[in-house]
Amino acid sequence: MSGMQRLIVVVAGIALLGLFSFSAPAMMNDYFVRILTVMCINAMLVVSMGLANGFTGVFSLGHVGFVGVGAYVSGVLSLSASAKASYLPDLPAWIAGLHLSFLSSTIVAGLVCVVLAFLVGAPLMRLSGHFVSVATLGFLIIVNVVLINADDYTRGARTFTGVPLQTTFPWAMGWLLLALVVLARIVYSPKGRAWRAVREDTIAAQAIGIDVLPTRLSAFVIGAFFAGAGGSLYGHYLGSFSPAGFYFAYTFSLISMLVIGGMQSMTGAVVGVIIVSILSELLRNLERGFDLGVVAVPPLYGASQIVLGIIFILIMIFRPSGVMGDLELSFGRIAALLHKGRKE
Amino acid sequence: MSTELYIAQQIINAVSLGSLYALVAIGLSMIFGILRMTNFAHGDMMMVGAFGTLVLQFMNLGFGWAVLGGIGIGALAGVVVERVAYRPVRGAPEVTLLLTSLAVTYILENLGILIFTSSAQNFPLPEWMDSAFQLFDGQITFTQINLMTVALTAVALGALGWFVTRTDIGLGMRAAAEDMGAANLVGLDVNRLIVVAFAIASGFAGLAGILWAAQAGVVEPHMGFTPLLKAFVAAIIGGFGSIAGALIGGYLLGALEVFIVAFLPSEISPYRDAIVFILLIGFLLFRPNGLLKRSQEVKL
Amino acid sequence: MKLTRRTVLGSAVVAGLAIASGPLARPAAAQETIKIGAPFNVTGALSSVDAPALNGAKVKVKEINDAGGVLGKKLELVIYDTKTDPTVIAATASQLINQDKVPVGLGFTDSDSALALGPIFQTAGVPFVTPGATSPKLPDQIGTDMFLACFGDNVQAAAGAEFVLGKLGGKTVYLLRDNSTEYTTLLAKYFKEAYLHGGGQIVLEDNYKAGDKSFTAQITKLKALSPKPDVLYVAAQPDDIGLVVKQMRQAGLTQPIVGGDGYDTPLLLSVGGKAANNVYFSTHAYMAEDSTPAIVTFYKAYKAAYNTPPENAFAALGYDTVGLVADAISRAGSTDSAKIRDALAATQGYKGITGSISYAGDSRVPQKTVSIIGVKDDKLYLAAEVTPNWIPKP
Repeated sequence: MSGMQRLIVVVAGIALLGLFSFSAPAMMNDYFVRILTVMCINAMLVVSMGLANGFTGVFSLGHVGFVGVGAYVSGVLSLSASAKASYLPDLPAWIAGLHLSFLSSTIVAGLVCVVLAFLVGAPLMRLSGHFVSVATLGFLIIVNVVLINADDYTRGARTFTGVPLQTTFPWAMGWLLLALVVLARIVYSPKGRAWRAVREDTIAAQAIGIDVLPTRLSAFVIGAFFAGAGGSLYGHYLGSFSPAGFYFAYTFSLISMLVIGGMQSMTGAVVGVIIVSILSELLRNLERGFDLGVVAVPPLYGASQIVLGIIFILIMIFRPSGVMGDLELSFGRIAALLHKGRKE
Repeated sequence: MSTELYIAQQIINAVSLGSLYALVAIGLSMIFGILRMTNFAHGDMMMVGAFGTLVLQFMNLGFGWAVLGGIGIGALAGVVVERVAYRPVRGAPEVTLLLTSLAVTYILENLGILIFTSSAQNFPLPEWMDSAFQLFDGQITFTQINLMTVALTAVALGALGWFVTRTDIGLGMRAAAEDMGAANLVGLDVNRLIVVAFAIASGFAGLAGILWAAQAGVVEPHMGFTPLLKAFVAAIIGGFGSIAGALIGGYLLGALEVFIVAFLPSEISPYRDAIVFILLIGFLLFRPNGLLKRSQEVKL
Repeated sequence: MKLTRRTVLGSAVVAGLAIASGPLARPAAAQETIKIGAPFNVTGALSSVDAPALNGAKVKVKEINDAGGVLGKKLELVIYDTKTDPTVIAATASQLINQDKVPVGLGFTDSDSALALGPIFQTAGVPFVTPGATSPKLPDQIGTDMFLACFGDNVQAAAGAEFVLGKLGGKTVYLLRDNSTEYTTLLAKYFKEAYLHGGGQIVLEDNYKAGDKSFTAQITKLKALSPKPDVLYVAAQPDDIGLVVKQMRQAGLTQPIVGGDGYDTPLLLSVGGKAANNVYFSTHAYMAEDSTPAIVTFYKAYKAAYNTPPENAFAALGYDTVGLVADAISRAGSTDSAKIRDALAATQGYKGITGSISYAGDSRVPQKTVSIIGVKDDKLYLAAEVTPNWIPKP
């Protein structure tokens, strides 16, 4: 496929998805639009998490910590002045005076996470294997403790509320597309190949001159930016949240999406989000009990979580590379599909 | 209240807490030593042990038997999990093992919620365990539970020590922990060793869960979560994979936690957990093999 | 097309979507029922209070339907388990409004869940009544469609303060709060305001976090106080109160311990044991076989339906909320959301088993009497019923 054709496909794809996101509320009811919006946010978070995890071999369990930081930073910034006075009376004056738009507060949230990721990643990215996983887990816990205790800024463990509900489907889709485009460009560039080399064999990568630490750190930091931005989107979707929402349950949810879809490819991340989201909703509705005509199954609340966990384990056992495996939906494949269609 | 008595009280609390951390950390290190696997589901063995005891008491078994039964159920649970979830993925990259254990913990906790509901249940103790010794006009409180914790932990540790130095299986476990390949070569039945390791580790965790529930007065499905994280820190401080290290790490961590709350200004004590994990990260960076182990990991 | 793994997967996804929309694409509301949305945290951290509330609600629905229903139709509770997860709560809210098209909803016993669902119902103009979320700020935070069926925490704290000053004669108080939840932090704040207003003196305040096992640090400071405080007010949650009470008594503290409806749990007596004697707490109703005739009837009905006595007052609140909503529907004479909302706002003197519910003026928080329950000889008893004279502002 030539460069021009590639560009056309990308632009066409973006335009189509954008059009879809704007017209969706007219085509389907709010419930489905909501599910799609959350899917976009989760996709963005999972793809950025996959950046560090799948491509450089560093499994960070602290990603959701950045999501939480993003949600709180953007939340504080976009609370109206009266809401700030009522919910966060002890905020220092210079923050209390700030009031940013949705886009600005999202970007600022992302940038704050970038800085944080530098500070945290510089020491941590030296570690390997399970050590870095445990260390980033420590980061998640530290973020949680700080959020709970810095209650002048965050209302502590109590609900942070009053955040304007500004995340619409177009916004979520827009940020997701941005993330996909940016990450795709990086991953398939020479730098991206370097990243994947680091994952495959650290020592060999070092042998051919790829500097491992900056490589891992860049992946970590870029992932953190989109985590922060995603956190802002999430916060402006829910309108109210608390530190507990950015802790282990959410971490496990995102990890399961990444793993089930395939840690090695970006398409895998998105596919994983779609599968897990649909499955969760389906199971959640089924567990209310259903009537099979011959037999009525009574409600069994809580079963959906167990089923998801079992599916996760089955994937780990039988297809640890996830649904997509190593396959990526590349331009070559799209062209092949299109050509096949034309031939037939 | 005099300072010496205050310190004495805190030491009692530290030993009590440290024992629990040590019990859990030892199991974690054992599993890591043999399988090189970080087992996130280990904390849930605490819950299994505690709920096991609760159910057995409910079925009118005496307290002592219920405790033994609870430990047994914990051990059994560990063995089952190993067989069903971990053995099929043995040999897979560390990440896969870690994720599988995450999934197991998710399933176990949700099963617990499904069966027992997520709210706390009373953990009944026999009358004689409910008393406390008050010394020095109530300035030092030393509960029966503290006593039991220390006593049972000592018994468990003693038994373990005897086991790994005097029995064939125990020695085999240590051999496998040092070098799995070599152990295989000399004909040790590695599968059996792993099963035994899981049984002991989970049994210990079960005991820790019972003692924890006795102290808290309640059991609930998420009870193993925080102790697991702390046990990780303890194991890593002591040297991940080393049983002696986990023991020392457990008591050190218990002491650290109690002293942070007791002696530092009260503005800092809410950050206690953050301090503990900063310590963890510090160890991972500068002394990843902990206090005891000699350098073995290849660092970047 | 070859039957590759991918094809199979793709078909599975499509099939899944189809099945998922099956149960979701509910047929148009059957002519015979009036639907009431019922989101509750049946699983998750709050299930110990939400589940009884839901069960109580179901008891009332059956009672109403057996008596002929409302406006000639039977009531139907559209129940969802929201898993104490805000994302699920938001999705459920949207499902109730867009898929099930309920004209009114009720649910939750905590303010955080109500906050997650509120804006969605408010935007759609569908009224929502919460049986047990006691934050008095809720209606103002959400809007005109949010109602409380229970008293606000400012009311129960004020009742507690008056009880301490009056019945217990406590002139000095030690205040301990769990600073990890909205409920306990606010309760402590309102108590302090009301108690100081009544002329009392707070000698020391302290905090702990939910889940702490050991309160020795706080107890040590408390014991060092001289003169000793008359009463200990502890704002705590159900899972912790047994342990707090036990450790305080073990340390030799004999003063009355007073708190809010977080103490309304079987765990107080089962975990606290003898230590729970001389403990008092404010709650919505006295749930026992020697209570008012209305409660006793409910008690028996609940026990018959679920094989267990009602676990706490939230069961009765669930019962009353259904009654309140049904009463509003019949006064409105229709299932139009706006009419139901107006009928709710106009409620005066609805006689529930947890007290009489009236919404004065624009307020959507009812003025109700507070029951103060005490523990004596290892048993619960009704110590007082208080309608506080002065209530701190929400």
